[in-house]
Amino acid sequence: MVVWQEYSIGLLVVLVTAIIGFYVLSREKDDLHRLLLIDLVEIPSLGIIALLGTDLAEALVLPGLVVGIAELLALGQLYLTKEGLQDRPVRGLHIEVIDTSPAPVIISILLVIYGIILSGFTGGGIAGLGIVFLFMSRGFKENFSLIEAAAGISWAVWILAFFVFMFAPQYWYFAVMAAGIGILFKVMAKMALVGTMWGEGR
Amino acid sequence: MIAVGGEPFYYLEFGDIVLYFSPVTTTLFVLALLFTLFVLASRPERQVDIAFGSDAYLAKVITPGELHFRKFMATACGLASMGAMVTGDVFDFTLFASLVGITNIGIVAAVKNRHVQNAAYQYGLVSLSATVPLFSGAAMVAATTGTLSLIELAKGTYPAVPLAVKSFLVLGIIGEGMAPFYAAKAEMFRAPGAPYVIMCSLSSLLIFLRVVEIAMTM
Repeated sequence: MVVWQEYSIGLLVVLVTAIIGFYVLSREKDDLHRLLLIDLVEIPSLGIIALLGTDLAEALVLPGLVVGIAELLALGQLYLTKEGLQDRPVRGLHIEVIDTSPAPVIISILLVIYGIILSGFTGGGIAGLGIVFLFMSRGFKENFSLIEAAAGISWAVWILAFFVFMFAPQYWYFAVMAAGIGILFKVMAKMALVGTMWGEGR
Repeated sequence: MIAVGGEPFYYLEFGDIVLYFSPVTTTLFVLALLFTLFVLASRPERQVDIAFGSDAYLAKVITPGELHFRKFMATACGLASMGAMVTGDVFDFTLFASLVGITNIGIVAAVKNRHVQNAAYQYGLVSLSATVPLFSGAAMVAATTGTLSLIELAKGTYPAVPLAVKSFLVLGIIGEGMAPFYAAKAEMFRAPGAPYVIMCSLSSLLIFLRVVEIAMTM
């Protein structure tokens, strides 16, 4: 019963935040600010899912977050096209310590190693962050077909692992390992591509 | 068992996600499949602009890249609708509905016209804000009953889903999975981006029918 009371209080708080967000949204007239505010309003919806407080909540927050980010990216791209902002070059970070010292490389290597130890989705995120940082600080001249191919293959490995879970559950250990490694490489490769979006023009 | 849609005659299990084929869901699935096949077979509409003050007219050219993008988005929309028609899991349904929403934005936004892109952007804002009631509705179904499976909910052994939660879910679907009415205008067959724009309307229709079935089953 105590749990249910806590759930109701949490629900009330989250719904009030959502209502405040929607009120602000209804008063805002600028397109870009509305997009940013909607991102803010999405957080209460993740909060409501997280209020479940079980394993299921964790499994539901992730797809909810991914769908939200996907729509946000699509709308951001649409805003750039709509306003004709696509040809504007973005300047990289020009800080002396990042440009000349080996610090970014060392930090990236540490992050990648830590990510590989963690493995899975979190590991992929951390290792990918290291590569994003390297690309952002040093620029990039590589050909990305290799990274894209690696992302595709690791995604296929991940899906294969799911089929093993469904149709041959006795080999679950193999499937866990395959899924962990597959998602590690997939997330890492995708985030590395995100890092290249920042840089000197195209 | 599932009284509204008729007795399911086939269950397809993927772990704890179970797809079920009852007379209603199968009909909707077949319709979505047919629409997807039509999209794959159809050719783009070529618009013609009359130049004022002369006899000239300008035929608009659709580049192969643009055509591929529209066709891909319309096909993806069809696949997402097919998934939404047969899934037996409430959260899965909301995810498919948001996928329909994203692809609908893509179909409309593929037209290289400032006014059309503005409309697509506004529609995107509506559908993005609709994910709040959509996902909260699905999460509250799990919180009030303890399950997300429609097959379990239909048995009647679980606590009833409150009306407020149902209306949250339906509100989310109205914003997310159903294209707005300004996209479903009468001259849609000749509109920029035709005939793929029609997929927005068809997927909305299917999603609408399915959410009625789900809300009555819960």
